[in-house]
Amino acid sequence: MHDLELIRVGKTYPDGTVAVSEFDLQVSPGEFVAFVGPSGCGKSTTLRMVAGFEAITHGDIIIKGKNVSAIPAEKRPTSMIFQNYALFPHMNVRDNIAFGLDVKGVPRKERDAKVDRILDMFDLSQFADRKADRLSGGQRQRIALARGLVVEPEILLLDEPLGALDANLRRVIQNELKLLQRELGITFVFVTHAQDEALGLSDRVIVMNNGQVEQIGRPEEIYGSPMTEFVARFIGANAIFEGRDLERAATGHSVLTDHGRIAGHASSDLGGGGGIIAAVPAEAISIGPRTRDESVPNRIHGTIATKHRIGSICRFKVSLSNGQAIDVETASRDPHLMALAVGDHVDLDCPPERVSLLPTRP
Amino acid sequence: MESRLLKPALAVYLGLFLLFLYGPMIVMAILSFQGPTGGPQFPIVEWSTYWYQHLFGQISGSRVSQLPVGESLIRSLVLAVMTTIVSTVLGVMAAQAFRTRFAGSGPIFYLFVLGMIVPGVLVGLGMALLSNMLGIDRAWWSTSFVLHVVYTFPFAFLVMLAIFNRFDRSVEEASLSLGVSPAETFRRVTFPMIFPGVLSAMLFSFTLSYDEFSRTLFTSGPRLTLPLSIYGTFSVEIYPNVFAFGVLTTVFSFTLLAIYGLLMMRSVARNNQQFKGQEA
Ligand SMILES: Nc1ncnc2c1ncn2[C@@H]1O[C@H](COP(=O)(O)OP(=O)(O)O)[C@@H](O)[C@H]1O
Ligand SMILES: [Mg+2]
Repeated sequence: MHDLELIRVGKTYPDGTVAVSEFDLQVSPGEFVAFVGPSGCGKSTTLRMVAGFEAITHGDIIIKGKNVSAIPAEKRPTSMIFQNYALFPHMNVRDNIAFGLDVKGVPRKERDAKVDRILDMFDLSQFADRKADRLSGGQRQRIALARGLVVEPEILLLDEPLGALDANLRRVIQNELKLLQRELGITFVFVTHAQDEALGLSDRVIVMNNGQVEQIGRPEEIYGSPMTEFVARFIGANAIFEGRDLERAATGHSVLTDHGRIAGHASSDLGGGGGIIAAVPAEAISIGPRTRDESVPNRIHGTIATKHRIGSICRFKVSLSNGQAIDVETASRDPHLMALAVGDHVDLDCPPERVSLLPTRP
Repeated sequence: MESRLLKPALAVYLGLFLLFLYGPMIVMAILSFQGPTGGPQFPIVEWSTYWYQHLFGQISGSRVSQLPVGESLIRSLVLAVMTTIVSTVLGVMAAQAFRTRFAGSGPIFYLFVLGMIVPGVLVGLGMALLSNMLGIDRAWWSTSFVLHVVYTFPFAFLVMLAIFNRFDRSVEEASLSLGVSPAETFRRVTFPMIFPGVLSAMLFSFTLSYDEFSRTLFTSGPRLTLPLSIYGTFSVEIYPNVFAFGVLTTVFSFTLLAIYGLLMMRSVARNNQQFKGQEA
């Protein structure tokens, strides 16, 4: 049985804004899924429909086999974590965390034991008697997590929980979240607009655009084989070439680009009549000094525009004949490659098995 | 150059402002200590607390009759308390309803606020006519009470609306998602957070009702409230006992304000203080 199931869920706000439409998703118990997409694509709206804060206009939401579409937020087995922490300002840390249990009438002894355990787990014991607004952002979000988890929800919903934290702290809490989720085995539904966060944290990523699902898949699938142009462009690490004149072959398809013919694999239907793009993950592209060998497939010519060596890696920006620029990353241990300088002519190789051919929307 | 002119100008402005605000009160306070033979004006013939004693009926055989304020003071206080409770409860509920835009919320907002805009004399007169037509006896606790609520409710409503405007809804949502019912969420999360606003709404309602004149004039029937009975004494002849009474009510108002300030400070401090020692 699925922990969470969304069946053709849609939301139209009273002002006519269609925020979400035809959203289908199944989440297994203990899974960590992430909704990712640009701001305004409907991530929060979807999450809030699961939590019960927004009414559903179409479809159904099923939690643990039970249709909760018409059940109010407080009766759903979900807990929500907010970007702004949403702690109770008139209570101290302990009372914040104990609140859910207290209202439910859990006996004092049991409540205190649970709260003490979770305070300890989140490293908050020494702040138990403080007011929450005297603590740092990271500590406050830990309090919010502790408060949400102590009531033992089936599903934890997190709406950009790290959005208000600085980069270093974000990494720390990301790790903590991942460990925590493994340890507790609770289903996490995580919303973020940062693709690296989604790819790095979750078991499965749901890429959204304009209120619709673009692609659902494991992080490496989303990264390695984007199914749509939007996904290829949104997961920023791709080099993208506009193509035309599709040639189909048993071994693979190829398109004609400004840089010659590029072969790749097609995971979706290319016969739509629109254009076609070839998308290559940056780390799949290899760089080398210009040779006269034209027999290698998917070889592109360019000129080094910038070179940045940062410790063990080196970043090149290579400009191509049509003015396009491509980022390439290599290990800086190879002396042969480190000899390359700005202005040098280079070859870029894009292995065909790493190239995705995708239809563009007409 | 601007500031060289501006600063003295602002200082003069502030001085005048304070003079007009407190001047009448100070003059009244001084004159209330007039001697038994003095009138309601300068000069002070002799300093005494004669008129305060007169007010409380301690002077026998005075040619001036005692100020008839005892019962009307009680009436005004009871009326103000009743008005405060009803207006604040209604104000909080209405503002809570206005947090979500509903069909017709625009026009209803203006209907609500109308009560503080229309001239009191008109409303009072209208109410008097209406109760005549319907055959209802006018009294301070019925017809006047209704008008006091109509008048003070918009103030309480607007205060609460401003408070809810800055209120972070996600705090309530966090409570709901912990499995706490909406009623319990209001009681244990929303209300403690809006309490300073509720206090302000109560203060507004109380003071507005306590010295309301024009609406009460037409609707209170034979038993007068305090402002009406004080006004009634003017039509005969003014003695310094009115000033003595004025000083006492002012002291009462300041006490009320002080209590408000203390409660406010306590609820703000409860949100802010806590273990400053650990911080160091
Ligand atoms: N209460 C609301 N009323 C009307 N439109 C809304 C409301 N909340 C969000 N929207 C709109 O719905 C769309 C999706 O919003 P949201 O779910 O918040 O996006 P995201 O979380 O992905 O940034 C946006 O176009 C937004 O403007
Ligand atoms: Mg959002």
